[in-house]
Order: sequence, then C-alpha cells, then structure tokens
Amino acid sequence: MIPPVIDNIDYLTQSQQVKERFARLKERPVVLSVEKLGKVFPSPGGNVTALHEVEFEVFRREFMCVIGPSGCGKSTLIRILAGLETESNGRVLLDDTAVTGPGPDRGMVFQSYTLFPWLTVKQNVMFGPKMEGKSGPSVEADARQWIELVGLLDFENSYPHQLSGGMKQRVAIARALANRPRILLMDEPFGALDAQTRAQMQSYLLQIWRNLDITILFITHDLDEAVYLSDRILVLKSNPGEVDEIIEVPVPRPRTLDQTITPEFIATKRRINQLIHPEGSEKQDQLPFPRMTVKGDDVE
Amino acid sequence: MSRSQRSSPPQEAWFVVRRELSGKRTTVLSFISFALPLAIWAAISYLPFLWHPDIQLQISADREDVTTVYIAGDRVSKGFFPEFVEAVREQNEDVEVLLKSDDPLGGSTESSIRRANKKVLRHLAPVLVSHGIINEDQSKEDSIIYQAWADIANGKWVPNSPPLSEENFAIAKKNWAAMSAVSLTYDSDNFISIPLLSLIPQGKPANPDYLPAPDQVAKSGLKVLSMPGENDRPSMVQRIWHSMQIVFGGFLLAALVGVPIGVLCGTYSFFSKLIEPFTDFFRYMPAPTFSTLLVAIFLANDAPKIALVFVGTFFQLVLVVSNTTRRLDLPLLEAAQTLGANQRQLLTKVVIPGILPNLYNDLRILLGWAWTWLVIAELVGVKSGLTEFIETQGRFRNFDLVFPVIILIGLIGFFTDQILALLRGVIFPYTEEGAAASTNPIIKAAMFVPRWFREAVEARLPPDLPQRKNQPNEA
Repeated sequence: MIPPVIDNIDYLTQSQQVKERFARLKERPVVLSVEKLGKVFPSPGGNVTALHEVEFEVFRREFMCVIGPSGCGKSTLIRILAGLETESNGRVLLDDTAVTGPGPDRGMVFQSYTLFPWLTVKQNVMFGPKMEGKSGPSVEADARQWIELVGLLDFENSYPHQLSGGMKQRVAIARALANRPRILLMDEPFGALDAQTRAQMQSYLLQIWRNLDITILFITHDLDEAVYLSDRILVLKSNPGEVDEIIEVPVPRPRTLDQTITPEFIATKRRINQLIHPEGSEKQDQLPFPRMTVKGDDVE
Repeated sequence: MSRSQRSSPPQEAWFVVRRELSGKRTTVLSFISFALPLAIWAAISYLPFLWHPDIQLQISADREDVTTVYIAGDRVSKGFFPEFVEAVREQNEDVEVLLKSDDPLGGSTESSIRRANKKVLRHLAPVLVSHGIINEDQSKEDSIIYQAWADIANGKWVPNSPPLSEENFAIAKKNWAAMSAVSLTYDSDNFISIPLLSLIPQGKPANPDYLPAPDQVAKSGLKVLSMPGENDRPSMVQRIWHSMQIVFGGFLLAALVGVPIGVLCGTYSFFSKLIEPFTDFFRYMPAPTFSTLLVAIFLANDAPKIALVFVGTFFQLVLVVSNTTRRLDLPLLEAAQTLGANQRQLLTKVVIPGILPNLYNDLRILLGWAWTWLVIAELVGVKSGLTEFIETQGRFRNFDLVFPVIILIGLIGFFTDQILALLRGVIFPYTEEGAAASTNPIIKAAMFVPRWFREAVEARLPPDLPQRKNQPNEA
C-alpha cells in the first residue's frame, strides 16, 4: 500500500529552489526545436501514423526524457531527430537549422552495442574526428580525455569484446561526445543492462552531464530512470504518437538515490503511470484464470 | 536400512543435450574419430571371416580351350573357384587316361606338347617367388624351377607359403617321375614331350582389388610419394604442385573478381538487384558442363582447368560474400552515420573492416568448394596432375597406388583449412577466436618468428618516423 500522505502532494507543486531552476532553464537558448512533427509508415493494410503533430523544445544543457507506452513512437522520434529516418510532416530544428540527415552535431547512443568490434576503445572514440579528416597526436590526446571522463583509461587499448555491457555503453557515450555534439540522443541506452549496472550508469551519466556543456534527450520506458535523470519528461501516448504531457520534475538537484522515495518523486512517477496506464487498463490486464486453489487458501 | 550407497565422485554423463564435453573427452573422441574408420578398414582387410568374397590365386593353371587365363595373384570369386579347380582336375584325368592309352600324344605334335609342358613347369614359379628363391622377373628361369620340381618330389623342399596340397605333392611326384626319366637337369631342347599333369589351383581368401589393405596402401604410398619424374612423367611432388596451382589459381581468381562484386551487392541495393538474379541462375548450371566450351576458348593447357575451378567457385562466392556483407549489423552503420561518416567512409571504414572476419571464413569454406572441382578440372583437355595418376593407375586396377593419392588430396585440403582456421584468430585478434588464439601454444610458437622479425625491423627504424607521418595534420 502506498502511504496515504503522498496523496496530498501534487507533482505540480514545486519548491522555491526548483521553481527558480526551471525559470533559469527556460531563459536559456533553445537547442532543439520540434515543430508539428509527423511520421506515417505506409503499409499494405493502410498507412500507420507513428507520430502526429509532436511539438516540444529542448533548452541548452537540459536533460529531457521521453517516455511512453510501447509502440508510441519513441524510437521513431529519436531516429528522426538523429536523421536516420525522415519525417513525413513538420520539421526538426537544431540551433534554428533544419535537420536533413545524420550528422556529428547530434551524438547518438543506441540500446544495442554499436562499438566497432575491430577497433580498440581508443580507436572507437577517435572514429568521429577521423571521419572529419582529423588525425594526429592531438586527436589521440583528446580521445584519451574522453575515455578518462568515462573512467576507462585502463582499457583504452582493449577491444569491445573484452568489455562488459556497461563499459561498452560508457565507451559509446565517450565516442559520441568526442564529436562535441550539440545534443546527445540516447535511445534506451541502459535497457540491456542489469539493474545494478543501470543504476551505476545513471549516476555516471548525471556526473558527465553536470560537468559538460551538453544537452541530453533520453528515451526510456523505466519510470524511475525518467524521474531520476530528467529536468522535464515528455510523455507520449500511442495510436497515434502524440505529446500527452510535458512534466516538470519537482525533484531538486543534485539528485541522489535517496530522493527516489521522496513524496515528489513518487508523485511524479504516479502521474506518469496514470498517463501511460489510463483508467481501466488494469482491468484489461486481468488474465482469465479460473481458480485452481482451495477456497480460503488465499494469498492476498 | 540406508538407501544411500557409498558415494563415488559424480560421473559426468556422456549424453546430455547440447552440453559440451570436457576437453579430455573431446581430445579422446577426436582421436577415435580418425582411429575408428582406420580400425574398420584394418579389420575388413585382415580378418578373413568379415568379408573376403574372393579367392586370390597362389598357384594357378592353364586350361585348354579357355581364353581367360588366371595367373597367381589374380582374384576369382569364391563361387567360381571350385568350378575352376574341378575343371583342372578333369583336365588331369583326361591326361592320365591318355598316358595309359596307346597314343600318349593324343594326336598332338611333340613340339606343341613340349610348349604346353613348359607352361606347366612354370606354374611353380609363384611359389618360388613367394619364398624369395627367385624374384618376379625371374619367373622364366626354367633351370631353377626344374630343380624345384625335383626337390619337392624328393621331399628335399617342403614349401610352406603356400603349403602345397597333398594333391599337388602327388602331381609333383608324378610329373618329376616323368621328367627325370628324360633328363635330371633342365634341357630346353630335350624337354619332356608326353603331357604333364597341371598343378591344381590353390588360393587364399581375399578382398576385391578395389579394397587394398592399409599396410599395402602405406607401402605403396611411400613408393608413390618418392616416385621420381622421368621425361614426360612428372614426379609426385610436381603433380601435387601442379594440382595446387589449378585449385588455388582458379580460387584466387574467383576471389579477386568475386569479393569486390559481392561486397558491392551486399552494400548497394543497385548492384544486388542488377547482378544477383542472374548469378543465382548461373550457379545452377554445373561447371563441368562448360568443360568443352572452356577448352575451345582457352585451348588445352592449364587455362581451361583454372577456368573450370573459377566457374565452379565464382558464382557461389559472389552470393555468399554479398550475403555476408548484408549480415553486417545495421546499427553499426547507423552509429557510424551519427558519428559523421559519409557514404564512401561507410563502405571503406565500416562495411569492409566489419565483414573481414566473416569474409575470411567464407573464403575458407569456398576454398574447400574449389578443391571439389580439382578432379573434374584436371580431366578437362589434357589430363594432368594428381588426377591423371589416379585415372591411369585406376584403369590398371592398381588401387593400392590410387588410395594414397586420394588420401593425399584429402590431407592437403584438410590441413590447409586447419591452418587457415588457426590463423583467423591471429589475423583478427578482436574476435572470440582471437582471444583463444593468444593462448594457443601452436600459434604462440608460430608467432615467435614474425614477432622477432617485426621487432628487429622496428629497432632499425628511426625513432621519430611514426610521428612524422602525422605531422601535416597537426597544423
């Protein structure tokens, strides 16, 4: 049973400190602006609308999470932002310039491990600069700095198959950052990791984000992860994928794991839960099991 | 009463679904994998009760009015042998009847009987050969053989390989009685001119000639391998070299042309749709069907042979390589794009390095494929190489010479593949095999020389050379 006390706490109520933070955030320049974005997939049984008039802005150095029920078009959205997919309607502006294809100004970290297996950790991190035609000791020194940032300097000459899943994703973050992107797009980057490693990675990511001039758009389906990491959470609903609500997280920063049981944290989670699992969905989730135990031998 | 028995260390089961056996068991089974077929072969060869459907003649006889002549060493079926023996016996009975009659010549001339008698004399030659008294080239040394008849008849010599049957001893005595009456030593001009009795054929159970015994194959194998070349007949080493040139020539040519095409097909839908449908069709036309065409185009030397291996390998190779290229993880390409790689860089910096380990494996498998075309290729035009040897010796039914060459072809292919498999880990240290390779003792030993060479070269390089290469970009 959820303690009744939080029923009184509204996720919309922000402390003075949090209010001021959001005021400062919104004065910052807009890095990414999404305008009436739509995506329609043609299919034999009729067109499927994956995204419909999605609109939002991400401010500089903001950490924004995108969450939504499965099939709401989260991945399609981030792939359009990365330029790996083309939009059907609307447009995406990065620093007021329309996005037309993939580019190093938008770093991307994928859920699957995408390190190049034939390159060492250092060579992987140097991949982006090399594609721009840069080479030489300065690039290498720069790469080592990024590897140091994610704490893997001991492994700079290791091959990806020698690294654990969490280490691979840290290298992937370093590799994306080495291009000095305007925004870091992360598509459920910790989804394949075990719970312990994931918590560790979240902490690493917050540290990196705090110490760099980097804006992050992060896709997840994990409520705790979204609330723990974000400034604002974009909740999408499905069929078609539309912006349901943009939630300003009332949990003050810097975040610690202790905050995950504070009333505002839980209230925010509850709100997202309400949005993702609307009234009546619980009833739909009931399995049609017949009773197979003796009457009176109940577990609840 | 306790149901638990004294506990012994838990014995691991041999048969568990999808469970790997221990290293020791793996080694043992791999050994048995080769030992078992060898043991079966040896058993069939050396245990007469297992198969041995034929009789190999040790002593044979000529039969009058029969064109097929069996000599010692020939094989006849077990069903026919008694018939053959009976026929010779009947022939002897006829001779004895004739000898008792008034006209022992039976109407023949003395010279024709003398000629037939010399053949009978030499029926003993294989027995002398098997005792090492004479060698095979001396089977017409009639004076030695004449003496042997005398020794057997007088009981001075009792042959034991093969031991003469009682029947044949009696025949030897009868013949010698007749022969000694004419002359005690061999005299070609004064040779006995009344008919002699034929020796009754003797033999031992044997397998057909197409299944020589392991020791025979091993002996012949050594002989075959060390066979020197003469004039237009190449030595075995030259033949091996020639055959390998055909296989590797055709294969390398196919790889040289096929790999780039395959990579393009796997990378660009354009090439895939343009090239693959026809390639897919073409590979169903068996390469050997083109052999006469290839001879017409490339004439009669090695060119049509290499071309046949090429045709047999190329179309398969294009499809396999394009498929391997297509199997490259799409997210790797997407990641590279978000890191700023352009279309050309995607091909050169991601696709090509990304598929190399699998491409290597493909080529390994296709090299094995190319091997299978060897025999057909060498029959095209002028027969050559190992196949020519197999063909020629096979026609003479010298299967003990054919087997070593067949095994040799298998061994060359097998060891090439094993070496290439070991090298994969060395060439691609970032793969799973690469990790295993770094601890493999064979590879460690083999890598010592290149490492020593590399270090020796590096020690002689000016120390600032690697840096200098990068300097222009620093500004």
